[in-house]
Amino acid sequence: MELSDKIIEAAKEIFSTMVMMEISVCGDHLSTSLPLTESISGVIGLAGTHKGVLAIHIPYKVAMAITSSFLGMDVDEINEDVEDAVGELANMLGGNVKSILSEKGRDIDLSLPSTITGRQYDFQPTKEAERIIIPFQCDAGEFTIDLQLEK
Amino acid sequence: MADQYNIADEIITGTQDVFSTMLMVDLVSEAAIENQKCRVKSNLTSMIGLGGGVKGVLAIHCPASAAKAITGAFLGMEVDELNDDVKDAIGEIANMVAGNLKVACAKRDIDVKLAIPTSIVGESFSVSGMVDAKLVIVPFKMAEEIFWVELMYVVTG
Repeated sequence: MELSDKIIEAAKEIFSTMVMMEISVCGDHLSTSLPLTESISGVIGLAGTHKGVLAIHIPYKVAMAITSSFLGMDVDEINEDVEDAVGELANMLGGNVKSILSEKGRDIDLSLPSTITGRQYDFQPTKEAERIIIPFQCDAGEFTIDLQLEK
Repeated sequence: MADQYNIADEIITGTQDVFSTMLMVDLVSEAAIENQKCRVKSNLTSMIGLGGGVKGVLAIHCPASAAKAITGAFLGMEVDELNDDVKDAIGEIANMVAGNLKVACAKRDIDVKLAIPTSIVGESFSVSGMVDAKLVIVPFKMAEEIFWVELMYVVTG
């Protein structure tokens, strides 16, 4: 199974078991990203035998819906709960990607998750990295998962 | 490494070392700000994850003019917009500062691994760690420019 297929499987499982949401892929994979507007990105680094960055980029409206479902409470603004929920999603996805890349996730460490929130920003890799961006949709809207791995 | 005072010092010496060696610039640091969400005005932030003995993120936050000035000093050429050269330059600097922190941790028998840098560019964005992370942010001055080096972290072992 290709890496992207495994990531899709992992994402679907995390969303269905932890967020109580069904998600599906809604377009072709991309290798460069568009500028993000009114969005929040959860970001986590992978270090060790594989070095990379995994990010999930979610528009505000969708992020609030995801957080509400994740935490079981209504959220109507981008606050610390949303930042923590999005960071935690990146953390869980990172954990799965770790296991996909290395047996039992050995030899790869995850960094601290962080979030970027903004009206308009561009999220770019710096070094030469292989990048895959997968667009997803859920009832509340669309978001993307973005994995960069050092070549 | 649980002593936050030392971490601020390590950030200061780690950053000053990169700038004096690679850019031939003497940086002036201002007082470190600890465990406060610091609302810095950044147009370009390069960040690199740390894993293993310290789980963290090192970020360099630059207003547009600082990013261009730093890149100019680093690459020896004038830059007039936040292009790929600037993202790469600040990303490389973040990588080197994180590298210095890794060495400082190794001296204390803490094994830190580095991820890869990413850059965020924009007019309006902010970066946050998780609620339980410790924060240390150091402002630096380079001539008229100011930028910030921030470490968000939890100590794991």
